[in-house]
Parts: sequence; C-alpha cells; structure tokens
Amino acid sequence: MSDVHASPTQEVCSVQVGDTLYGVPIAHVLEILGKPATQPVPLAPYFVGGLVHYRGEVLTAVSLRRLLGMEPAKTPEDVLVFENPDGLFGLFVDSVGEVLHVSQAEHEPNPATLEARRQHLFAGAWKLKDRLLVSLEPERLDPMRLASAFPA
Amino acid sequence: MDDLTREFLLESREGLDRMERCLTDLETHPGDTELLAEIFRSVHTIKGTTGFLGFSRLEALSHAGENLLGLLRDGKLAAHPGIISGLLALMDILRGVLQSIDTTGAEGESPQADSAMIARLEELQHGDASVTLAEPVLAAVETAPSHPGKSRKSRGAGRRSSRQHGDSQGTPPPAEPGEAGPPKEAEAALRDAESQPRPAPAAVPSPSARPATQAQPEPPAAATPGAADSTLRVDVELLNRMMNLVGELVLTRNQILQATSTDANFALLGRRLDMVTADLRESVMKARMQPVSHLFSRFPRLVRDLALALDKRVRLEMEGQETELDKSLLEAIRDPLTHSIRNAIDHGIEMPDVRVAQGKPAEGLVRLRACHEGSHVIVEVHDDGAGMSIERIRQKAVERQLVPPQRAEQMNEREILQLIFLPGFSTAAAVTSVSGRGVGMDVVRTNVEKIGGKVEVDSHAGKGTILRLRIPLTLAIIPALIVHSRGQNFAVPQASLTELVHMSAGETDSRIEWLENAALYRLRGRLLPLVFLDRLLQQAPRERTAPCDIAILNADGRRFGLVVDGLADPEEIVVKPLAAVLREIGYYAGATILGNGEMALILNPGAIAQNANVSLSSEADDGLGDENRAGHHDFLLVETGNRRAALPLETVVRIERIPRSRIERAGSRPVLRFEGQLLPLDDAASELIDAGDDPEAQTTVVVCRDGDRHVGMTVSQVLDVTGGKQLEQAGSGGVAGGITLLHERVTSIVSLSGIPSLECVAESPAMEDFQPAEGQR
Repeated sequence: MSDVHASPTQEVCSVQVGDTLYGVPIAHVLEILGKPATQPVPLAPYFVGGLVHYRGEVLTAVSLRRLLGMEPAKTPEDVLVFENPDGLFGLFVDSVGEVLHVSQAEHEPNPATLEARRQHLFAGAWKLKDRLLVSLEPERLDPMRLASAFPA
Repeated sequence: MDDLTREFLLESREGLDRMERCLTDLETHPGDTELLAEIFRSVHTIKGTTGFLGFSRLEALSHAGENLLGLLRDGKLAAHPGIISGLLALMDILRGVLQSIDTTGAEGESPQADSAMIARLEELQHGDASVTLAEPVLAAVETAPSHPGKSRKSRGAGRRSSRQHGDSQGTPPPAEPGEAGPPKEAEAALRDAESQPRPAPAAVPSPSARPATQAQPEPPAAATPGAADSTLRVDVELLNRMMNLVGELVLTRNQILQATSTDANFALLGRRLDMVTADLRESVMKARMQPVSHLFSRFPRLVRDLALALDKRVRLEMEGQETELDKSLLEAIRDPLTHSIRNAIDHGIEMPDVRVAQGKPAEGLVRLRACHEGSHVIVEVHDDGAGMSIERIRQKAVERQLVPPQRAEQMNEREILQLIFLPGFSTAAAVTSVSGRGVGMDVVRTNVEKIGGKVEVDSHAGKGTILRLRIPLTLAIIPALIVHSRGQNFAVPQASLTELVHMSAGETDSRIEWLENAALYRLRGRLLPLVFLDRLLQQAPRERTAPCDIAILNADGRRFGLVVDGLADPEEIVVKPLAAVLREIGYYAGATILGNGEMALILNPGAIAQNANVSLSSEADDGLGDENRAGHHDFLLVETGNRRAALPLETVVRIERIPRSRIERAGSRPVLRFEGQLLPLDDAASELIDAGDDPEAQTTVVVCRDGDRHVGMTVSQVLDVTGGKQLEQAGSGGVAGGITLLHERVTSIVSLSGIPSLECVAESPAMEDFQPAEGQR
C-alpha cells in the first residue's frame, strides 16, 4: 500500500469517536488498552475522563468526547497510552481501528472554517478514498497543555 | 559521560562524605590511627583514579592532601584544628571539581585557588615543627618534590615517594597505571593481582577495565572493612520500576487466586505465588531503605562550621543512626533537618559566656536522635539552648501581622508555638548569614508534610527546644481505610483517622444536627463539624436519611467528621502520584490500586479541613482537656447566699465540707488551714456570719487556684458542672468579661484575684509559714 505513494508515508492508528475517524501516528502510541477499568475523578477539569491503571501506574486519561463537547460514550471506551515529558497519559476513544498507511501528499491543514477549539486540537486531515482521517498529535492532548489552553 | 567517569564521581563523593565524617571525628580523637587511615584511603583512592582518568587538577590537589595525611597517619605530625580546617577546605575544593566534572564533563580551572590550597597544605606539613615527632628530615625530603608549579614528572616522583611512605606502614595503595615499579615482596602477590586487569592509561576506558577501587586491599591494620564490599549500587529509578512491577504482580496474583479458587491443585500453587509475591514486595521495599546515618553523617561538619562561624561551642550527639528509612524520604528530610540544626545552633544555643552565667556548661548540646515508633520514624533535633519565649513569639507574630492581636491574646501555649511555622516568621533580632531571614520553619513544615510527615515542637524558655519530625516509614505504602461515596472508592490515610461512627437509616436525620448550613455531630457531648464527601466533591447528592458512616479525622489539629456512604476494609495501599492537573484540585494526595484491582483516590484530610474552614482545636489528643478552647469553658456552678456564681472549673482544686472550727481568723479576715498552708477565705455566702458560734456546724468551701496562690471561697451549695460560652458584648465584637451563659442564664464569674492575699492581713501568726501552694487536686 505504501509503495503506491511517492511522498513519504507514515503509519497511523485509526480511532473512532462518534462519527469521526481520527488518526494518531503509531510511533507515538505506547500501548492500546482495550476497555480498561476507569475511575472518575470528581472536580477534575472537564476534559479528564478519569484514571486508568497501566503497568503499576495510575494514568490520567483525557476524554476526546468531553474535549469536543460530545455526549458521554454509552459503552466502555478504549484508551491509547502516550508519553509526554512529564510522564504517561491516556486518551479515551470510542474504539481503536486498524493501522493505516497515509502519505504526506494526502495531508491538508485544518480548514479556516473549523471551530476555534478544534483548530487547536486537530493537526489537519488526511484524505482517504472515501472519508477524512483527522490527524491528532499527542502533544496537543497533553493534560497540562489542555489545562492552560482551555481553562475551565 | 562514560560509565567509568560516572562511577568515579559516585565513588569519590562517597569517599569525601566518609572523609568529612572522619575528619570531624578526628577533631575529638586526634590520635585515632584508624580514622587517619580511613581518610588517607579516601584521598588516595581519588588520587589514584584521577591520574588514571586524566583529571590532573584533582590529582594535584589530592596529592597535596595525601602528603599531609601521610605524615599524620605515620604519626609524624599531630592533627590540630588548623590541619583539620585545611583538610576540610581541600575537601570542599575537591567537591567543587567533582561537581564541575559532573555538569560540564571537565574539571574547570581555578589555578590560583588550587595553588593557594596546595601551598596551605604544604605549610601545614611544615608549619608546626613542635608536633613533628619523628624523622622530620626524612619527611621534609620526601615531600619536597610536591611543590605546586613543578612539572608532572616531578609530581610523579613525589607520588612514588609517598607510596614508599605508605608501604612502610603496610598500606598498599592501588598501583598506578604506567608506574609498574618493583613492588615490595610482602604485597607483591596482592599488588599483581590488582594491577593486572588495568589497561595502560592510553587504552580507551571500558567498563571491564574499571579500577577496582572497592576491592582495593585494605591495610591489615584497619579492622573495619567497609560495608561497600558486599553492596552494589542500584539506580533508584530501577528500584521504582521494580516496585511498580511488584505491585502489578500483586494484582495479577489476586486475580489468579480468585480464578483458581475451585481447583485444589491450583489453589496450592496460588498460595505459593501469594507467599513469594509478598516476600518479593518486602524485599524490594527493603532495598530502598537506607540507615539515617547516610544523612546524619553530614551534620558533624555542619555543626562544627556553624559553631566556629558563630563563636559558639556546640557538641553534637547522634543516636539511632542505624534506623532505616526509605531513600526518597531520607532525601526529602535532608533540607528540613539541616534547617532545624542551623536554627538550633543559631537561635537555640547561647554564647558560651551567657551559658556559663546561667549555670549551664559552656558547651551547648545538640542531640540528633532517630528511632522507630510504630509505622513512623521519629527524628528529633534537641538543643539545650535558650528555648523559645512564648511571649516573644506572640509579640513577633502580632508585629509581623501574622495573627490579629486579639486572637494572639487568646491563644494558648501550644497554638503560639505553632506560629513559628507560619511563613515569614522569625524571631532572630538580626538577619545573620546562618538564619533569620524568616524562611525556615515554614519550609521545614511544608517539606515534611509533603511526604506525609508531621513536625512537632516543644520548647521551654531557658531549657531548650525539641523539634520532632515524624516521618512515615516509606512513601510508597501507607495504611489507609477505604471508604465509598456515591459508588466510588476513596482512601483515607489511617494516620489522620481517629474513630468511626456508623449511622443506620433512621438515625441520620436525628443525629446530625444543623446550625444553618453547618452540619454538626455531637461526639461525647461536644459538637464536631461534619463534611459531606459527596457534596464536597460535587457528586450526585445522597438521600438525607440514607445510612452513612462518619470517619472522624484529625488533620494537624483540625478535627472534623467526614460523612461517607460506607466503609470497606482497611488496606495497605501503594501511593501513586497524580498528574499535575489533578493535584491542583487539592483534595487528593494521590491515587492507588486496591487489592481487587479497582482504583481509589487518596484523600488529603488537611486540605479538606482547610477548605471546610475547620479551625485548629487546642485539644491535646482525643478531646481531653478542652477547657482552654477559645470561647468555651467549663464552670462550677455554685450558689452563694441566694445568687448563682460560676467558678472556672480549671481553677477548682477541691470542694470540701469542713467544720467551722477549722476556720480561723487573721485580724478581721477568715483564713483556712489547708494541707499545711493558710488560705485567704472569701466568705461570699456569709455562711460564717450566719452560723454564729457553733463550732460543730459545717460549711462548704471551694478551694481554687489563682495564679500561683490558693484561695478559698465559702458557698451555700454546689449546683452543677456545666459548659458555657463567653458572651460577646453587643456591637463591640469583644468578649464581655466576668459573665457567662450557663443553663440559659447569665451568670457572673467569680473573680478570684479579687480575694485579697494574706500579705494584706496584719499580724497573722502564720505569716512566716505562708508559701504559695502547689496545685493539687
């Protein structure tokens, strides 16, 4: 698949949240936790989905649904584990799909018409054959950064 | 930085620490050859390895030190304070260079300081001719080539000569690479074995070629081989990681145990797994423990330097050095302890002449003590100095506007002492280089509380101060009670839990009392503020009549009841840090994973109390002795004649029925013989007059303490002991003096000081015998 494209390609992990398909460069994903037990944190910033247990550590996991102002998920969610300079954190998504190969040539920046919050969170999109794959960069989802970018 | 250099840095720092300890010891035992040998070894090791690694500055410095130490060790020179100061100064320079290597990879340059240092050490070698005992000529000749500014070659010659020097004492230093001089027969075998694996200096250092400094042959004379021989350095990160993995293993074990409970064979294996896991966990925890001597060892130097700088004489005693504490905790109390010792010496210990004038030995004593107490380690800093004056603290606190004057007046001793922990508090008259900048005690408290510890202070003016740090044994694991609130688990640290109260469905509504919005619970007659966890955390509210449990917590003197839905088992929990965004909420001290695999947030009782505005109560421990609680007092309610009066209960010594005959008269005033003393008596009830002259008639006397004297008061009847609140005078905001509200009636409080003392009574026959009475009950 990757041979088809002339420009550099990368592997992205596709995740579904609501009706949108998002892609995270696979190199940034430390691990995928399938429907882990979660612990809500009362009084936490709104974008914190809860705590998840990962290899003896308790990770703070950001909820993409909450971040985007969507309804809470009705079924248990999957968690992607990322690493940031301060440690690890998680990201709640509805479900994790397959790994896709995307080429740089198919990537386009965020449209100017996108709402400001999403402008901040998304890193453009890849044009797949039949749909768009929204690019997510883990560093934009770091809880510390979110706390300063979107104070409650 | 390569492994070799890193190892060298670690090793050299340890060597210097050891040297520092020995040097201060040496000051008290100048002739101790073992100490000298130990110091010599430390410096020598550094020198040996630096030459090998090509750190010429370190080499030159340590070489100069070694020459001086050689003389000392061989008894050619006696240690005196000048030498010790010189060697300590050398150590500081060496530390600086090591630091520079650590940060920049290079030694840094400071030729002037170096040559000054070397010259100083040279001078010390020759300076004190009177104590040079034997072979002065030889010593001078041998050390001559080590002058600064000489070529590297000549230093090499000096080194060789000092080695011969060493050999004559049976201390074989490690062979220098590239310097394979003919070894003496006695150590030939050893020396060969040691020097063999070393590559030529030109060879690229590789991990396998590390100089085996730890395995350096000990001189046969030195009886105490270092513990270093059987130990291994492990990165703390690795231990942390192991700890986590063990935690993980514990959880997996729990799940396996649940899954296999039906199969007998598996159950057996499961139990075995259980045991091994528990053992493993304990071992890993143990691996993180270090004796407090690691920390204490730096204090003799600190005390010495401070005492010198302040012209005071201070002796440091250390106890319980073998007490072990988690490595990270040891690090965490390093600064608080240093602060405390500085304080003790700067503010506590007086100048020698002042001490002598007060009948104390000129030399002050600072005692550092560590011991286990339950699941805590207590570290005490005790000084026999001036102590703290309660009044001065009160004044200072008001002056610095840390408390309003009115509040300061009402505070008791314990509360006043707590003021020293407020930021910006300092009683030092002048800011010295040592302390007095108003930072210190608050830093001590903050740092200790950060690791779940407590700081207590006890001080008596003129006698000294004890500062007690109460440190949990390990940061990683704390005993906690798991509670539920709205279907979620929370962990409450046992350290702050005092008792539990359960309320069944019917009871909640009647037993929780409300004062406007404040919920209260009557615990043994006293009102305890309640905090509802569900409301605090803005969870879905619970029904008001639902059963609940109250966990009664004491967070640094703030007592309150935490209302939760239910209780689970107490559990030893592993504290996991929370991300910064969640720490900012403040109510959580961390998170944990419970035995059943669920997670729980660890509550921070101190923060909850603070947020709920629970005030400090002055109760010593569990609600005893609350008479000093601001605004609330217990009174003895009495009837005198036909009116009611209140006596503060804490002043009442005894209530007695006595025959009229025991009451005598001194002049016109009635007096009572009471336990061999004579009390002035206030005939408030006019009992004595009414009773006439019948000597058999009895009267009730309440004996009270007023300051340091005792007084008596006749009463018609004792009615009750009851609690009352002081009344505020309308509009003034101040407390109305002399009256209180008892049984819903305004009652006047008897003013004991209004009873005239016996000194005013003329010609009393018992005057000479009168002494202020001691309080007895």
